[in-house]
Amino acid sequence: MSEKSPQNWILVHPAYQQMQKLEVEDSEQIHAAFLVYMDLTEVRRWKEVSCVKSPELQLVLLEGKEKEDTPVQTVLPLPVHRSLTHNSIRQVMDRGFPMLLCAVAADSTLVYQRLTDGLVTPDPPVGPFQDVGRRKHRKRRQQN
Amino acid sequence: MEGAPRTEEPTSCRVVGISHCDSASLLWRVEDLRSVRSQGLVGSLLGSLPRTPRQNSRLGRPLQLLPEEELLLSKCHTAASLPPANQHEGGSGLVQQVALQGEERRRSYEEQSIIALEGRKSAVLRAMASSNTGSGSETCQHKAHWDSLKALDQSFTFPLSALAVQLSTARVGLAHCPESRAFLQAHWSIRVQLSQHSEARYEVFRDLRRRGFYLTSAGKFGGDFLVYPGDPLRFHAHFIAVCLSKDKPVCLLDILSVARLGSNVKKTVLLCSPGGGGVLYTSLQWSGMV
Repeated sequence: MSEKSPQNWILVHPAYQQMQKLEVEDSEQIHAAFLVYMDLTEVRRWKEVSCVKSPELQLVLLEGKEKEDTPVQTVLPLPVHRSLTHNSIRQVMDRGFPMLLCAVAADSTLVYQRLTDGLVTPDPPVGPFQDVGRRKHRKRRQQN
Repeated sequence: MEGAPRTEEPTSCRVVGISHCDSASLLWRVEDLRSVRSQGLVGSLLGSLPRTPRQNSRLGRPLQLLPEEELLLSKCHTAASLPPANQHEGGSGLVQQVALQGEERRRSYEEQSIIALEGRKSAVLRAMASSNTGSGSETCQHKAHWDSLKALDQSFTFPLSALAVQLSTARVGLAHCPESRAFLQAHWSIRVQLSQHSEARYEVFRDLRRRGFYLTSAGKFGGDFLVYPGDPLRFHAHFIAVCLSKDKPVCLLDILSVARLGSNVKKTVLLCSPGGGGVLYTSLQWSGMV
């Protein structure tokens, strides 16, 4: 066991095995989902992270809470070179939880994007603004 | 946004004249520009200013309309294509027009000379009728009347200088009655065959306009439209709208790049898919999870 484990520890990880039991054909996506699972549980310390299968998309989704007292969120992990449709995003969103899309690069770089139904006005920019100071500075330089 | 004016209903706005330069739709007249802006359509100014021709940050007329803006205007029956400029027609068109006008003038002259002759004759006949009451010396007067009537028939000429010519001076700008506005709409479908993507763009444009947003093109930001909560002169854009059909596969890398750009410029990326009688909007923002 200990001789072959350095290569195969993922395969014997209980979360990975649980994902494989979901009968999702797409092994690449399962791998991506597992990397995201590890990131959420080990790095970000999310709570109650579980994996579920989306019957419409035939993909592994993750559900969990950022903290004990925050609401459940759905994460769609996807290898970065894949493509997806607006419809499939909506299907994940229709589960009723706030949704994150996580792109998984080949070097296991992860980036999370938040997807929300409707028009979400961006937060107003936070001051202090640098422009004013910079302009003053430029003026001073011209005088010299 | 709810209180914003709705633009879809047939408006009582004046009809603007659009000149077509290849595929570009241009507005030249100041009152047209003002009218379009008051309907919440922004367009983009193209022309250089006469006093400062060597810069391109502040521009003047003409105003180029987005295809969606032009379509929206023509659907509301408030836009008409101006006839192509004369220099494209060359000499032959002009010669033809002159010939046509000459023909028209001649026909009018003939009609008017017949009317004038009849007028003269009826005057003579009236004179005869009034002189008929008497007798004796009036018989020779009667004969004179007959002679002049005959002379009129033979040698009456209507002087050209007496020709009445109508000059239409009252028609300023474009005045279209509701019936002819219906034709304006039909004209569009002939001029432009809409592709599927441009149809989606138009649906999105119309829906966001109806919600009271102002839209401009978003070439700078890699999207289809920039969406402003009010007049672009007063507000920064809040959204970058990307129009795509619901079941078109999009590469995840493209989604990442547009989302990244959106967060850099503090705007929300909007995925917009028309369908089912409305438009589906999904906001895409960076999660902030480093």
